[in-house]
Amino acid sequence: MKGKYLFLLLIMIAAAGCREQYDPKVKSLEQSFLVVEANLNPGPDSTDVFLTKTLKLSDPQSVKVEANANVIVEGEDNSAGILNNIGGGHYYSNNLNLTIGTKYRLRIQTFDGKEYLSDYVTARVTPPIDSIGLDRTPDGATIYVNTSDPANATRYYRWEYDETWEINSYFYSQYIYENGGIRPRNLPSEDVYQCWKYATATSIRLANSIRLQNDVIYKAKLVDIPSGSDKLSVRYSILAKQYALDREAYNFYEQLKRNTEEVGGLFTPLPSELTGNIKCLTDPTLFVIGYVTASTIQQKRVFFNHIPWDFRQFCETKEVPDNPDSIRVFFSGGLYMPYAYNPFPPTYYGSTDGCVDCRTRGGTKLKPSYW
Amino acid sequence: MKNIVLLLPIFLLFASATYGQVSDNEKITDEFNNIKLSEFFSRLEKKVSYKFYYDAVQLDSFTIQLSVKDKTLPEVLQEAFKGTDLRFSTDDGSKNIYITRKLLIATELPKGFFNTKNDGSAGQATDSVADYDIEVRKTNRLNTDKIVEIGKKEDQKSGSVIITGYVRNSKTGEPISNATVSVDSVYGATTDMDGRYTLNLGTGTHLFNVSVIGMKDSRLQLKVFTRGKLDVDMDEEVRTLKEVVISSARTVNVRTVQMGVQRLTIENIKRIPTVFGEADVLRAITSLPGVKTVGEASTGFNVRGGSADQNLILFNDATIFNPSHFFGLFSAFNPEVIKDIELYKSSVPAKYGGRLSSVLDISGREGNKKMITGSAGIGLVTSRFNIEGPLGNNKTSFILAGRTTYANWLLNLLPDEYKDSKASFHDINFLLDHRLDSSNHIYFTGYFSDDHFALESDTTYGYSNRNMNVRWKHNYNRKLSSNIILGYDQYQYDVTSKKNEVNAFKLGFDIKQLHFKTDFEYFLNTKHSFDFGVSTIRYKLNPGFYNPIGEQSLVTPDKVANEQAQESGAYITHRYNPNSKLSISSGIRYSMYNYLGPQEVRIYAPGLPLTPNNLQGTKEYGNGKMIKTYGGPEFRFSARYAFSNVISLKAAFNSLRQYIHLLSNTTIIAPTDTWKLSDANIRPQRGQQVSFGVYSNLRSNTIETSVEVYYRKIQDYLDYKPGATLLLNHTVETEVIRTRGKAYGVEVLLKKTVGKLNGWISYTWSRILLQAYDTTQGPLVNNGRYYPANYDKPNDVTLTANFKVNHRFSLSLNSTYSTGRPITLPVGRYYYAGSQRVLYSDRNAYRIPDYFRTDFAMNIDGNYKVHQKTHNSWTIGLYNLFGRKNPYSVYYVSENGLINGYKFSIFGSVIPFINFNISF
Repeated sequence: MKGKYLFLLLIMIAAAGCREQYDPKVKSLEQSFLVVEANLNPGPDSTDVFLTKTLKLSDPQSVKVEANANVIVEGEDNSAGILNNIGGGHYYSNNLNLTIGTKYRLRIQTFDGKEYLSDYVTARVTPPIDSIGLDRTPDGATIYVNTSDPANATRYYRWEYDETWEINSYFYSQYIYENGGIRPRNLPSEDVYQCWKYATATSIRLANSIRLQNDVIYKAKLVDIPSGSDKLSVRYSILAKQYALDREAYNFYEQLKRNTEEVGGLFTPLPSELTGNIKCLTDPTLFVIGYVTASTIQQKRVFFNHIPWDFRQFCETKEVPDNPDSIRVFFSGGLYMPYAYNPFPPTYYGSTDGCVDCRTRGGTKLKPSYW
Repeated sequence: MKNIVLLLPIFLLFASATYGQVSDNEKITDEFNNIKLSEFFSRLEKKVSYKFYYDAVQLDSFTIQLSVKDKTLPEVLQEAFKGTDLRFSTDDGSKNIYITRKLLIATELPKGFFNTKNDGSAGQATDSVADYDIEVRKTNRLNTDKIVEIGKKEDQKSGSVIITGYVRNSKTGEPISNATVSVDSVYGATTDMDGRYTLNLGTGTHLFNVSVIGMKDSRLQLKVFTRGKLDVDMDEEVRTLKEVVISSARTVNVRTVQMGVQRLTIENIKRIPTVFGEADVLRAITSLPGVKTVGEASTGFNVRGGSADQNLILFNDATIFNPSHFFGLFSAFNPEVIKDIELYKSSVPAKYGGRLSSVLDISGREGNKKMITGSAGIGLVTSRFNIEGPLGNNKTSFILAGRTTYANWLLNLLPDEYKDSKASFHDINFLLDHRLDSSNHIYFTGYFSDDHFALESDTTYGYSNRNMNVRWKHNYNRKLSSNIILGYDQYQYDVTSKKNEVNAFKLGFDIKQLHFKTDFEYFLNTKHSFDFGVSTIRYKLNPGFYNPIGEQSLVTPDKVANEQAQESGAYITHRYNPNSKLSISSGIRYSMYNYLGPQEVRIYAPGLPLTPNNLQGTKEYGNGKMIKTYGGPEFRFSARYAFSNVISLKAAFNSLRQYIHLLSNTTIIAPTDTWKLSDANIRPQRGQQVSFGVYSNLRSNTIETSVEVYYRKIQDYLDYKPGATLLLNHTVETEVIRTRGKAYGVEVLLKKTVGKLNGWISYTWSRILLQAYDTTQGPLVNNGRYYPANYDKPNDVTLTANFKVNHRFSLSLNSTYSTGRPITLPVGRYYYAGSQRVLYSDRNAYRIPDYFRTDFAMNIDGNYKVHQKTHNSWTIGLYNLFGRKNPYSVYYVSENGLINGYKFSIFGSVIPFINFNISF
């Protein structure tokens, strides 16, 4: 059929437009700038300010922390609170006792003698999350959040989330290969059938209701789960944290998202400079990354069980005669693992590690308290 | 028989003779008291032995009031026609008298008409003829060595006279533009858009030659006595299957005074291979020196360092705001209706204004005046159809042409989940022209294009150009002619999203302009000629609306207040040729721009950045009230000094103003870019350019070479603050950074116009640098240093070649190399919001890898049997022959917490294409 043929050509053309990994070998800046990630929590919960430094693109480490800084929260009402250095670049307070509606700023004195100060930001209340849901899409599923502010006062929102999901092995393993031989597992402590996986948000999730009559956020995307993912294979839970933002903070996050997550398309705007609300007092020409916000945090955890979900593992059973040589040849490499025993004739059933031991699929045995 | 019979296949030329030849002695005495001409003639017929022939319809408005006594017939007629434009000629042999208006009829065959070559006489015929220009048009098909006389010998004056005329296709009656008229083998004139030429000749004998690609050269000997008119019909070059050697003298880009002008005919354009095989006007443009694009999917082009919105794109005087389909993959111009294109990069004629960088003037064809014809084409993605022909008589012709894409139904073949996808476009051209009489011609242009795009989502994009205009061309006399144009242009787009029922919206934008323009051309004498005219445009802009869709949508309707403005201009150009070597064109255009109410104008504290904090208040203006006026003179000067017929030196200076701007902070023109009028807070852009060039023709004018150097400055160029939102922004001025630019470069062109192998090589070295300089606006881009614009590609080489293997088979090759465009790359990275992220610093400090692409096409024509119902042709080719993955962009993106660098190519492999055309 001619149409089909033409269509194939079109597909070819579409496939021709391609992207490939590329490293243009740019020269990184020698200088390192301070990066401030801070939400001052006016609620009864804790506040954690995370201070890091920018890295060269070629640097091997993933994060360079700013240790040994003094971090102080100053109120317009001359109040002050100190955040304690708990290591790893984290500066922490159990409860800063901030007042809603009052303006606060962050003062940072780094170990190299530089002093940084943020603009004043108003401490605000975040409305609670209404609901979290799941939509099936042609590509898998989308977890979304609904929220609203009856007072129509919030308008700008940001979310972070933590994901937890259970994975199960294809085969339930009662045996373990150890020291050249096979012994029964001590269950449940040595169980490798049930594991959990954890993930945190890596992309910025934002939404606003500025163009709507009411302050309503409907089905803002939190996570896209691609078809075939193991996330929904057994049971899935998500904890969403909601932050209210003001317009400037929202713009900062939106710009950060555009610059770093939404580049490369045909019609995406050019990467542009990122302006936060922190300045270096000692050297005003220094670039500082970050935007200090101040809002309470609303959390909500939901579970999704038994979602009809097409998760497949392709597992085959290998029958291994119960003699030391066969067992050693077959299981010593670690690629195959035993899971069952058939006495007539004496045979171990084994399969590839991913089909037997859920830990080899990135799971841990650490069961969450809320599970 | 009261109508004129044209007895001969007369070679009709103008003659300024007033009286016909008469030899009769019959005397007449009579009283004619306010009688009609018909009665007058019938009474005379009773008295004398002559018979009158005339067009009753034409002459019915004349009455005769006359009393004669003992007068001869010629005397009577002379007296009767005194003060009118009626003329008579007598044929004494047949006793006929022909009455005509203005012009005379030859009643005798030229002396020596029946001479045969072998009788030993000179063998050349001399026609003493009259130009007859009424109902039946017979013109010269000048392919013989015939001598044609213009005027009458008795009236000959010494000195120079003006000869004008039209050059037309003998088969279709379409005017032929850009034909070269040469006299005594020296360049004389080039025909204009309507096929008209004006020559200034000394009286005496001349060798007259008209040549244009695709037509047989027309050649004849002229004997010029007085000024006159000479129309030429040219025959198409019939392609015979037998090899013929055609040698013709090609003329000359050395001679025109304009510089930085590029002309391409549709035949040139069709030979350039393009992706999907669609002949593409805008892609052809980008193969010319000094023209660049940012990337492959961008139809916007950059001329000599100008941004894409600084090009005025005209299709038959209609401004096309979005010249592309499919977001830039195809140009929105149907090659079937285009005659040729002209791109002015440097010497922008004073009659054009309103854009800073260039004018792209796309001329439509006129329809076939002799018979209904048409053509159809099938390509991979589009199919097209056009039909043209005369309407009623041979004074009116039309072209109706349309293109559409199949992509929409192709997408229906996709699996169910893609069912809602669609991508389609179409465009329709309707061109009409009507010749009222020899000096009045009316043209109508209608243009409509429409694009829809939705893929795998509930968001649809649509945009549309709608244009129409009427042009009246009038020739007052041989020296003065005018064009009057009245037109309406519209561009609109909308985006509809129903993905999320609560946020479902429709947003849109539209711009409308009503324009009126008069252009006069006045040809005083050999040395002086003038162009002058006035123009005005009323802009009405709807900068954006945002409305809810569906009952569940909570979207609050939003609308940015409508804007309107008037842009007017008056210009005069003086072309002065003091001698054959020097030619000077000096033009001045005064443009004035009025930003008009109703509007609420925001007033900011003077001298402070335009930010919401510095807003002092607003002021209301009523409908039509002038809010802000900008204006000033624009200078257009160019001069040429020809050292000889084959080498010349040119210089030009230009200044321009632009009052309307495209708001865009993407690299290429995006579907949601909107236009903005200059207002109280956004100033018009201004630009100046100075350029020099050397032009030389080699090898008997078969090779054209040129080198041009230019330097440009741009003021009040619009750049935007980081992360600026431009769509539906009620205070766009707060996002604008005032920027200035400088551009300079060298362009070298080598063009072979004739022969089996023809084409051109162009090389450009150029820079465009921008600078944010207004320190009152907060932090400056790159700390106020100059930085390259997105389309700064210093080195650019293009080769376009066509090789004619035989008459039915030709090969085309197109190859282009350019420096990669500048991009902003990260200088570091950091961890934020759960992911590694990149740190950007200086804008456009890096470049993507260099671009290199070669395309190849074969054109196969069907057989050339003259008498068959249809003719067909095939084009088969390969785009990106070497399958090079030319990057469109290089970028770093944060994915799953990590930074990944990517190179993105739009066409990263060889793309084969095939096209089938059929004409009937």
